[in-house]
Amino acid sequence: MKEIVNNSEELCKYLKKMIIDTLKLEEITAEEIKDDAPLFKEGLGLDSIDALELVVAIENIFNVIIEDEDVGKRAFASVNTLARFIQEEYNQGK
Amino acid sequence: MMFKDKRVIVTGGTRGLGKAMALSFAREGAWVAVSYASDEKSASETEAELKKLATRSLLLKADVSSRSEIEKMVESVLDKWGYLDILVNNAGITRDKMLMFLDEGDWDRVMEVNLKGTYLCSKAVIKSMIARRFGRIISITSPSALTGRAGQTNYSASKGGIISFTKSLSREIARLGITVNAVCPGVISTPMTENLDDETRNDLLNMIPMGKFGEPEDVTGAILFLASERARYITGQVLAVDGGLT
Repeated sequence: MKEIVNNSEELCKYLKKMIIDTLKLEEITAEEIKDDAPLFKEGLGLDSIDALELVVAIENIFNVIIEDEDVGKRAFASVNTLARFIQEEYNQGK
Repeated sequence: MMFKDKRVIVTGGTRGLGKAMALSFAREGAWVAVSYASDEKSASETEAELKKLATRSLLLKADVSSRSEIEKMVESVLDKWGYLDILVNNAGITRDKMLMFLDEGDWDRVMEVNLKGTYLCSKAVIKSMIARRFGRIISITSPSALTGRAGQTNYSASKGGIISFTKSLSREIARLGITVNAVCPGVISTPMTENLDDETRNDLLNMIPMGKFGEPEDVTGAILFLASERARYITGQVLAVDGGLT
């Protein structure tokens, strides 16, 4: 996991697959999710319930805990912001 | 067996209705963890009964009003059992006094155990349920929450809060396969009701259209139903088991 986290391109690919698998999205492929596209409301159109599932998935996979709603909102702005957030938190914790 | 290998926590599950709930789940094949606050005698008696009945069981001492104790309790269950399916928020206390004599300590303690305890326990278990997209959270409320009762402003406020909490939480996580409901037991035959004086007993019976007290199995039946697959499309509801009292 450390190798994936520290490679931004690999991490973004991993996160796109994680989003699709966790939320069981059938109408989109990982390749169609743009790194900088919004994840919530417009863009991928996820909602606050989807966010709950992603928070749990991130905790289980990366051991990164998101306890603050505002922190979560900023992290989940896009795949890129999520990747950077996970990299920072993961490397602080390890 | 309706709940074969389902993991269940019943807070306050070592005596009274909580114990009846725990034993009912155990009879249906569940792995049952029960928490208690301080009554060691009842706790060890219940532990012995669960060990005979349940596939697996755990006895955990935890004050439901303490975040650290509840987190530790749930972590202990998750470490041993991997995940949780069902939470019954049963732990509750009364400190009945007319408002004029109700001090802040009695107000706060009842709110902490009954309402905050329900919040803390529910929060502690939902990540495990969200991860598996399955869960049942059932909280115990009271007729006092629906109709009010003199001498119970604190208790009825806490139990009323549990109803609102149930309805709101149910909307948050309905899409994730987790149902959140409340059961409202009426006057149930227990050692406490057996010791009522005749006047109080008759006053209570006159308030109940069915003219009799309920049995613990009436309440556990409702809880098992809400925890079962048959209730998968029921969420955010209050099921009163009270012979028509409310």
